[in-house]
Amino acid sequence: MSSIVSAVDLKIGYSSSTILASIDNFQINKGEIISIIGESGIGKTTLLRNIANLQSPIDGKLEVFGSQSYIERGKVGYIPQKLGLVKHETVYFNVLEGAICHESILRSITGFHEQKVIDKVEESITLMNLSHKTDEPIKQLSGGQQRRVAIARTMAQGAQLILADEFLSELDDKTANNVWNVMYEYVKANRITLIIVEHNRDRAKLADRCFKLEKNEDNSHSVLIEVEK
Amino acid sequence: MKFDKEIIFKRKKYPIFLFFIILTTWFVFVDLVDGDWNSLENSLDNLSVFFYESLWPPNWKVLEARSYPVCDRNWDFLCSPAYIGIVETLKIAFVSTGLGFILSLPLATFASRNLYRDSVAIPFRLLLSGMRTLPSLIWAIFFVILIGLGPVSGVMAMTFYTIGYLGKLQYETIEGLSKDPLDAAKAMGLSNSEIIMRVVIPESANNLISQLLFMFEYNVRHGSVIGIVGAGGIGYYISTYLKFLQYDKVMALLIVLFFVVVVIDLFSIKARSYFVEDASLKYPSFFQSIFRGK
Repeated sequence: MSSIVSAVDLKIGYSSSTILASIDNFQINKGEIISIIGESGIGKTTLLRNIANLQSPIDGKLEVFGSQSYIERGKVGYIPQKLGLVKHETVYFNVLEGAICHESILRSITGFHEQKVIDKVEESITLMNLSHKTDEPIKQLSGGQQRRVAIARTMAQGAQLILADEFLSELDDKTANNVWNVMYEYVKANRITLIIVEHNRDRAKLADRCFKLEKNEDNSHSVLIEVEK
Repeated sequence: MKFDKEIIFKRKKYPIFLFFIILTTWFVFVDLVDGDWNSLENSLDNLSVFFYESLWPPNWKVLEARSYPVCDRNWDFLCSPAYIGIVETLKIAFVSTGLGFILSLPLATFASRNLYRDSVAIPFRLLLSGMRTLPSLIWAIFFVILIGLGPVSGVMAMTFYTIGYLGKLQYETIEGLSKDPLDAAKAMGLSNSEIIMRVVIPESANNLISQLLFMFEYNVRHGSVIGIVGAGGIGYYISTYLKFLQYDKVMALLIVLFFVVVVIDLFSIKARSYFVEDASLKYPSFFQSIFRGK
């Protein structure tokens, strides 16, 4: 089975003198759901940012979709802790941001979108049960609805790898479980790989595999270990 | 309880700081006066004489039609120096603010360090800084020499200054944006131009519009200054009356200008309140319905 994410002897952090985490071997296959737990400041977000190609590793090898430097447009969907939505704009506008990955840059910046892009946006909004909120600004939606917009954006984008960074924090348990179920069903049905940083251990254990970042013996940096479920 | 100097300083830092500012300002002022206190002694008397003999009462003839060219309009006021001057000043400010905004926005995005690396951002910052270094008055002198007397020189001068000033406000706004929406867009693989169109401009739209209104307000005030060097607007008439020592007419024009600026300020404050996040002034949603789709 081919790895979607492959990390060998990986060192991540801000500089060679401040290594946050060291990962010996980390392989993630297509369609897997992976959860990562660990205390604050241990390097969970930094690991996701490295996988998303937003930050470069300090040392070692990190391949995403078989490449160390280039990721095809639209293949990776990143949901930061605060969701990364354009708050002043509508649900439609935000989901469209994901769908423009399927058209040329010229079309996307001039606003002459292809019909397939429009269809993709409408389909994603409908699947997330947000049709009645299509033209509402994000800041007027509830926390749960905002998370569903973020999922709809990755849907419209057609992401094959979704990186979600504690995106359920700040929600009450019932809403968080609802959003988690929506995400879980979507990625399972479409064989999409999901790496989710989660502080709730019960939810984290619902993933196919669960990893923990924790300090090594001499407390110099953290290491990634697989947690038995 | 033990009080050492450091604790006393920390607790009284604001009065100490204020005292320090007053003291240094006074010493520098004394240095500038250089012992010539007599020139200041008579200044109040001079002001009183100048005000009552030359400035007051204002000469409201500036609101009447000019003798040449002959007025062909129904209402004399429409041919008056005050009306012609102020309308030209408003036109100069409007065009230069619009042009400046359109030209400064791309430069500001290139100057933003959260969008482009330092090797790209720093040269653009230097360019904006250079345009801002020269006040609009100096730009006006420069363009009057290049283009000649008239409002086009005024427009060019104000546009250049607007690009420098507005560009700085814009890149500071862009750099203050939350990094989450930018990260999400970068991870998707969107190009910088797409990120600017789909994230940067929508996220900062309220601030950009607010800055645009502020800049228009600013340009109306400065539009009166650049006219003094022949770059059109009400400043041209002020300068002419000053040359002929007609200070009462200058006074009348300054009063007209003051009222126009106050009206624009009031409009601008009201309009800006729609675009500033969590502003204390909130008005019914006419603007919101147009710009925010509510």
